[in-house]
Parts: sequence; structure tokens; C-alpha cells
Amino acid sequence: MKIEEFSSDHLDVLKELMNIAMGNATASIADLLQAFGTMHIPHLTITDMDGLKSQINHTISADEKYYVTKQLFGGIIGGEFIFVMTDESAANLGHYLYDVSQPSDADIMDAVIELTNILSSTIISRLTEELNTKVQFFAPSTQIISGNHIIGQDETLNYHKIIIVSTEMEFQSHKISGYIFILARDETITRLRELIDQKLEELYA
Amino acid sequence: MKFLVVDDSKLARLSLIKTLKEYEPTAECIEAENGAVAVELFKAESPRVVFLDLTMPVMDGYEALKLMMQIDSNAQVVVVSADIQTQAQVQVLALGAKLMVPKPINSDKMLGILQQLVF
Repeated sequence: MKIEEFSSDHLDVLKELMNIAMGNATASIADLLQAFGTMHIPHLTITDMDGLKSQINHTISADEKYYVTKQLFGGIIGGEFIFVMTDESAANLGHYLYDVSQPSDADIMDAVIELTNILSSTIISRLTEELNTKVQFFAPSTQIISGNHIIGQDETLNYHKIIIVSTEMEFQSHKISGYIFILARDETITRLRELIDQKLEELYA
Repeated sequence: MKFLVVDDSKLARLSLIKTLKEYEPTAECIEAENGAVAVELFKAESPRVVFLDLTMPVMDGYEALKLMMQIDSNAQVVVVSADIQTQAQVQVLALGAKLMVPKPINSDKMLGILQQLVF
């Protein structure tokens, strides 16, 4: 499909639904951390792989190490949820969740997976619920990698035209934050547009 | 009756106005896409009720709420937000909001708001 077929109204709807989904996720994480999370306005872009790499390079430092969790989802709409946390944020999370001053590497990894699981399931489930559909989640995987390796061979092969939804999770009091990227596959863009059109029809009825 | 609807999303504004008009068909609705525009409209138009989002560009809802309450300490501001954290609710109520309602707005929520503030 042509990018022009995804109008500013479609983007506005998707951004608002993402905002609602992110609100739910922030509240769940706030309960987990017993802290207040600052909400950020989600950014939506329709782009290609070069645009994705450029956006990630703009947000993430190429040489720094990150905990990167990726989770695929599929169904009427499909794509990939990517959560990126700095070493420092991940250590702070491990420290808080395990209540130890020096969490082990395994503790930190476990804490990151737990947090990402809540984030991805809450955000994607709420987003799809608002679009009157549902998705299936696949097992997530977490790696410690440098910023310039976040986008790997799999993404390069599987995505051509992409909707990127990016936002930030931020709990300042605990010095825990992370970046969220949701990639929607080529065919999903068309399905998303159809689901959003239904939503708009209801609104204008 | 005049209502000010403040949200950076056109969909959210349309949806709220549509729901509002189910109960107040003659409602006059003024729209603002951020807090800064909202504060100016609030000064100029003196709306009966303000529906205010929190997460917006230029000026967020917290700042706009503070300024509106400075202009009129009796302002009837309803925060309509995706931020459903307890602390966010405590904060906006402390700043002077009359109610905080989680997004998305629907007929039941709107009826509850109007029953408390208008009818």
C-alpha cells in the first residue's frame, strides 16, 4: 500500500489508542515499582528499514550496552515489540525488584523480562482490544547488546514498510526508564487501516 | 452551555463531543489541541466545564490546570486521561480538578460527569 493511504486521521487514532494502552501499562508498572511514572507522547512514523535504523540511532547510543527484549505478536495484526533499557536502568530495576544492593546478572535479566512481559502484554492487548481484535504472543527473548545491533537480520528480512510506534517509560524516582518500539509488518498496515476505518465510521455515524 | 474540550488528539476530542451531545445536544463546544491554547480560550470564553487531557505537547494538562485554577478558583475542570495512576489522580485533584476520568470516555462516564457537575 502507499503511505498516502494511511492518513493523518489514521495516525491520530493510532496515536490516541497507543496513549490509552501506554496509560494502562504505566499504571501496571507503577504498581509493581510503587512509584509514579511520567507519561510521554507516543511518536508514530511510517517508514522503511533505513528510517527505522535512523530513528533508533537518533534515540539510542550506538556504542552503549543495552538490555534489549524482543517479542513477536501475530493474528489479524502482527509485528514486534522491542523494549530497550540501559545497563544502569536494568541494574536499578533488579536492585528494586529483588531488594538487594548488588543484584546478580541473572536477577537483572529476570527483572527485565518480567517488566517487559507486563509492558508488552498490557500495551499490545489494550491496543488490540480498542481495535476490536486480538493477537497471540510468542516467547520473548532478551539480549545484552550494543545500540548499533538492536536491529538485526530478522528485522531486515521481515519488515519493508513499517509503522513504528515509539515512546518512553520513565520512573524518575527509581532511575528506571526504557524505550519502546512497536514495529507493524507491511500487511498489518493495511489491516490496521481497515480497523481504524471501522473506528472512524463509528465515530462519524 | 459552553464546554472547552482539550486534547492533542482530534479523535479524542470528536469522541468526547459526540458523547457529550448525547446528553447536551445544544452544547457549544470549543476545542484546544494543547494546554497553552486551552488557557487562552479559558480566559476568553469562560466555559462552564473544561474536559482536559494530561499528556499533550506545548503545555501539558497539569500546567494548564494550575493556570486555569489561578484564573478562576471555581473552574469546573474534568481531567480525562489515559494516565490512570493513583498518584496522577491525587495530583490533579489536589490542583483543583473536580473529577478525573480514565480514557476512553463513554456514555456512562459522561452521564456520571454531567450528573455531578451540570444537571
